Amino acid sequence: MTGRIKIDGQSIPFAEGQTVIEAATDAGVFIPHLCYHPDYEANGSCKMCTCKIDGRQVSSCTTKAADGQVIESNTEELNSERRALTQMLFVEGNHHCPSCEHSGNCALQNAAYKLNMTALTFPNFSVGRATDASHPELMINRDRCIYCELCVRASRDTDGKDIFCISGRAQNKSLAINSDSGLLKDSGITPDDAAANVCPVGCIIKKREGFIKPIGKRAFDERTVHHNKVTQATVPELYKKAGEKVTVATCSLAGCFGCHMSFLDIDERIVELVEHVEFDRSPINDIKICSEEVDVGLIEGGVCNTENIETLREFRKSCKIIVAVGACAIGGGVPALRNNVDVRELLEESYVNAVGVENPQIPTDKELPHILEKVSPIHEVVKVDFFLPGCPPPADAFWQILNDIVAGRQPDLPYDLMQFD
Amino acid sequence: MTDASASLARQQLAAYNRDPSMVLQMLRNLQMEQNWITDSDIRILADGLNTPQTKVRALIDFYSFLHNEPRGRYDIYFSDSITDHMLGSRESAKLLCDLLGVELGVPRADGTVTVSLTSCTGLCERGPAVLVNGTAIDRVDEERAREIAKLVKAAVPLDEWPLEWFFITDPLRKTGPLLDQSPSLGAAIERAIELGSDGVIAALEKAGLRGCGGAGFATHRKWDICRSANADRRYVICNADEGEPGTFKDRVLLNKYTDAVIEGMTVCGITIGATKGFIYLRHEYEFLRTQVQRRLERRRATNLLGKHILGHHGINFDIEIYMGAGSYVCGEESALIESLEGKRGIPRIRPPFPVTHGYRGRPTVVNNVETLCYAAGIVEHGEEFFAHPGEEPGWKILSISGDCRAPGIYEIPLGTTIEEICKMCGAENTRAIQVGGPGGVLITPEEFDCKLSFDGANSAGSFMIFNESRNMVDVAVNFTHFFAHESCGFCTPCRVGTKLLVQLADKIANGHGARMDIAQMERLHGLMTQASHCGLGQRAAVPLLTNFEKCPPCFAERMSDKEYTPAFDVEAAIERSRQIVEEEGRPR
Repeated sequence: MTGRIKIDGQSIPFAEGQTVIEAATDAGVFIPHLCYHPDYEANGSCKMCTCKIDGRQVSSCTTKAADGQVIESNTEELNSERRALTQMLFVEGNHHCPSCEHSGNCALQNAAYKLNMTALTFPNFSVGRATDASHPELMINRDRCIYCELCVRASRDTDGKDIFCISGRAQNKSLAINSDSGLLKDSGITPDDAAANVCPVGCIIKKREGFIKPIGKRAFDERTVHHNKVTQATVPELYKKAGEKVTVATCSLAGCFGCHMSFLDIDERIVELVEHVEFDRSPINDIKICSEEVDVGLIEGGVCNTENIETLREFRKSCKIIVAVGACAIGGGVPALRNNVDVRELLEESYVNAVGVENPQIPTDKELPHILEKVSPIHEVVKVDFFLPGCPPPADAFWQILNDIVAGRQPDLPYDLMQFD
Repeated sequence: MTDASASLARQQLAAYNRDPSMVLQMLRNLQMEQNWITDSDIRILADGLNTPQTKVRALIDFYSFLHNEPRGRYDIYFSDSITDHMLGSRESAKLLCDLLGVELGVPRADGTVTVSLTSCTGLCERGPAVLVNGTAIDRVDEERAREIAKLVKAAVPLDEWPLEWFFITDPLRKTGPLLDQSPSLGAAIERAIELGSDGVIAALEKAGLRGCGGAGFATHRKWDICRSANADRRYVICNADEGEPGTFKDRVLLNKYTDAVIEGMTVCGITIGATKGFIYLRHEYEFLRTQVQRRLERRRATNLLGKHILGHHGINFDIEIYMGAGSYVCGEESALIESLEGKRGIPRIRPPFPVTHGYRGRPTVVNNVETLCYAAGIVEHGEEFFAHPGEEPGWKILSISGDCRAPGIYEIPLGTTIEEICKMCGAENTRAIQVGGPGGVLITPEEFDCKLSFDGANSAGSFMIFNESRNMVDVAVNFTHFFAHESCGFCTPCRVGTKLLVQLADKIANGHGARMDIAQMERLHGLMTQASHCGLGQRAAVPLLTNFEKCPPCFAERMSDKEYTPAFDVEAAIERSRQIVEEEGRPR
């Protein structure tokens, strides 16, 4: 059957046997997807390409186009579901963009940009799946697998090697390798295989190629797609009398102060900023305690110890608005890479076995904070109002969000200021 | 690797003619025989079937009862359903673990015993239920747990354990046309041949029989579509993968009404033009296998199965039993077919539906055990068989468990109110009833005037009663864990969503729940309903949300009144660090 279908009001043709996503792609209509790839049989597992077809939500990669179908795809309802699916995939694995070799070339990250995903909103699972670095040229970081099964299909259908297989079920699923040892080095895979090149995320990667392309030259650095405006939350009324300034406090928890450095990159605009804003507790002025009532708290870094928790709670108590700033505050970031190491091993690595340690011992001073079993994003400990992604967020992003808040506008991060790494 | 194990694996290959679709049966046999499947077994099977080892391993990792590490010589599973909890299963399990010195789920170092939990084993009216090396034992209270511990310690072989423990009776409490009938030995088959395929389908349509597994699809339509589909071969599958927690009617039908089940399958085969049928029997019902097998053999011997049935030339039909290996999703017909083909039980992309593209791509009727029994009755006795004076035609068999005087099997006319059913089984001070299993509906006393029907309070037959002493949070938490454990993990919303729901459920159960958690559940429910690949994900958030909506006091008792609380227990998260610092601080 051939004929025409209507996607978001646009009438497009389809050829015999085409699925909805195939017809849309041919007509230049983009439907977000992760597990779909034009070279392979559809899998239908990621559910990102879910569209409303004649009123019913179905995967557009497994639904055949039929004459007269009316399809909704680019609607806020569907995009919000896709955003939630993207968030699910982010928290299910360890997708810390700043430390990922595939950042900038990652379909999951790009989906998050396109869907304007600023926050995770779900708790991180902090998985610790086995990494396979046995192969001289390739490696597998299973913590980043999204179970799209593209490598399974590529190895079976293009390479004819049938190297990969999805094993287990529910949260015990894993990417298995067909070799006697179960290791990649004995599997017969080569870097030229389709399976070695099809991974949409940073799970199957090539050694010595990480970060090879500079930022700006990577596959998804070019932001051509127009901006999907997304409302994060409503800005509370700050009730300012004429001439009264908005107070801003800032701090860094388990972070590197890089976000603060980036903030200072607003350069001479800081002069204009201080006309509207007064700094409360902040490393910028070295004030150590928040005033009783602060308007905006900018928090950098994840939560790694009891002191962080205390600081965070103080901020939440004092500040009307809390903004999670940067990759660590939003997702745990680089510090969260320790999440699958036992606390004793961490302490011993730092205080006993580290190079150059004299008088090795784990400190027991009561003044020292206890470290948490895992580093968490701040939204897992206090309620967060707004999120400013980036590692660090660009100075313009700070400028934008503060201006929006001061003016009582919905913060709206332009697409080109969304950058996770 | 022992030679014995290697030869056992080779025997399996030979016994099943190296048929790759039988790999699950081979694995299950090895598991039952040796208590685990060795790496060498995997290699031998993979080589013998000319398939990658990973695909064999993937099956072991997918099905709950298959293991690639040694389990104990006594492999004990406690049924972890809410009705077992209510009868004291957790206390019994803990006692048994303590007495045997084992941790739940971890085999004892000496290889003697493993004690673990598993999803509902279908002995809901006589819990706490356990499976020992695949065999069911009922009523494992603390006393029986003590006796089991003694037997295990004394290394008494399982076949010398007290016989009465294994004698699973059929608790018929109220009988109707199906449960009252004497075994049908060929009468329905004769009648089906007499009526012809059109006549059979017309009779089913007149009677108004619909699928009893939960979905309620009209049986005559299923059979009609299947027989009309263009194909060289067709199949009949009896879905005996009764995994819905709280259901045990198929267990009773298979045990006591085996002939009706087989007769129904044969009638279906004759009607749709199939010559081959399968009974997909859940792993937990191993204890029924011999009985079903014997019946099949007897029927073959009396020409009720096989070639030229009852002397009718060209009427051929035979049935094979296929054992499941522990997966709730396989109760969904397309997942069941995947499993039957020797794959992981992941629901297929539909359409096409099994009725046109089923087993090995051929048109296939998959019917529930009960549906097939009623079909046989209707064909033999006419549509009056399924009729009664009430408004809505038809009957339904309920499995009633939980807080009532007489749990068991009830055959009830459709249209009966929940209140009447409560009276029948002696349910008092009822807080709520879960009809249709964890994904079904929760009915509170205000709604007890609603009627049992295919479209209203429909069910796979599960009817779990909770009285006022029960906190419905516990019920919702148990169901939520069940879904997360049984999710096949194929699609994102269900795989991740069920885990997120478990985190929220546990948070509430531990007294840390906040108002935002309810909002989060609603958000997940919206997404999972719309985007999940099958019914499991679509329904997984329902228990938490409906129990919250219908039994608010239970939740108020457990939840904080805060808008926001942390996602994790902060105190617990620093405990490890605190301990280490304390250990280090002690004088040496």
